[in-house]
Amino acid sequence: MNDMTRLERKVDQKTIKISARDVQVFYGETHAIKDVSVDILDNTVTAFIGPSGCGKSTFLRCLNRMNDTIDICRVEGKIEMDGADIYAKRVDPVQLRAQVGMVFQKPNPFPKSIYDNVAYGPRIHGLASNKAELDEIVEKALRRGAIWDEVKDRLDEPGTGLSGGQQQRLCIARAVATAPEVLLMDEPCSALDPIATAQVEELIDELRRDYSVVIVTHSMQQAARVSQKTAFFHLGNLVEYGDTGDIFTNPEDPRTESYITGRIG
Amino acid sequence: MMEQKHIVSGFDRDLEGIQALIMKMGGMVETEISLAAKSLELRDEELARSVVQSDRQVDNLEEQVDEEAARLLALRSPTAGDLRTVLTVMKIAANLERVGDYSKNMAKRTSILVEMQPVSGAASALRRQARAVELMLRDALDAYIQRDADLAQDVRERDREVDQMYNSLFREFLTHMMEDPRNITACMHLHFIAKNIERMGDHVTSIAEEVIYLVTGARPEDDRPKGDKTSTTPYDPGGEDD
Repeated sequence: MNDMTRLERKVDQKTIKISARDVQVFYGETHAIKDVSVDILDNTVTAFIGPSGCGKSTFLRCLNRMNDTIDICRVEGKIEMDGADIYAKRVDPVQLRAQVGMVFQKPNPFPKSIYDNVAYGPRIHGLASNKAELDEIVEKALRRGAIWDEVKDRLDEPGTGLSGGQQQRLCIARAVATAPEVLLMDEPCSALDPIATAQVEELIDELRRDYSVVIVTHSMQQAARVSQKTAFFHLGNLVEYGDTGDIFTNPEDPRTESYITGRIG
Repeated sequence: MMEQKHIVSGFDRDLEGIQALIMKMGGMVETEISLAAKSLELRDEELARSVVQSDRQVDNLEEQVDEEAARLLALRSPTAGDLRTVLTVMKIAANLERVGDYSKNMAKRTSILVEMQPVSGAASALRRQARAVELMLRDALDAYIQRDADLAQDVRERDREVDQMYNSLFREFLTHMMEDPRNITACMHLHFIAKNIERMGDHVTSIAEEVIYLVTGARPEDDRPKGDKTSTTPYDPGGEDD
């Protein structure tokens, strides 16, 4: 039984999905990310932890070029997905964000029906050629989001009428509807109650089979529960990156130890 | 180990509290060993009885440590060095409890042995062996408080000396029994005491290993040094010490 849990937790895929090298991020004069190099593995949940303002969300947003939308933000260094530079000129950021989906802190369903929330992405990316295909994509995504059974009889109702936990799972379904390869989650459970949090965490573990998942979380316990790899950020530096089990029992850097044991904020 | 304080100061108080319990327990067990061996050498039945009595407090302390540790795990979710502190505290408490039991057993046998003819030199040799374990325990507890893995490793190595003392006592008691069958009852009791002290050394060694784990995050990889060869060596009364 012990072996089973250990095996489950083990990173069973060593394929590198995203490789970041010497990444620097500046907001105007502020140097927000300093020299971060990290390999994000496929079929793995990677947790970014660190105190507020440490740069973990900023770095996460580099991975699907969300920082492009901020005028004063400048990204240097190299970030590759499957060996291709995601900051290359010919890369369309909208296309990239379909491949690298994102789920935010607060559930943010569109003020549309549940069906249209999920169908939106596949429609604009032209993933379905007819209604039947689109229906199939929507159902599959909602099943992936572990919310199908709860909403299948009311797909026409507004997504905003769901509970917070359901809305968040709807947003996850919306993110997976465009068949992404990587899912970025920025504090996906911070607005949810413990039950909804557990459901989303269970979902994250299932999603790992098909995607590379990167999650930013303020809850150390959540990082410990859901991730196989953990990266600790502090003052814009990536201080330590390793197997989650090692980070939480025997971290190498004293700053990591101080943070996870609750000694520095 | 961690100079910095927790942001939540109650966490520090809990950790300090549980470690204070361990030190208290360790101090009591040290005294228990010392007094048990002293009662044996001085054939002091009164003292032996007080050792038997005091062991109950050690048992109570172990329960208290376990309760505190369970509470700490449930309420504080310790990680890294804090987690290792709680885990090692539980194991150290269990080992101390065993050492206390063996001391109590020594004291109980003392009450029987005072009724018999003394076996020459045995009680003082056993007291020396017990003293060696007592010093190992003192250093193991020091190593714990100082987070000193080198001192813990030193304790671990000293267990071999205790084993060797047991080996020679084993031979000595056999010889006494062969010489005069009237010595057999006393020698059997004395032999159990020697073996129990040897076991105490093993438990103190485990404590030292916990300290190494606490400090380094890894248990020592090499095998524990062992010097008790009586279970694998056929008896040869003419044999020399190895």
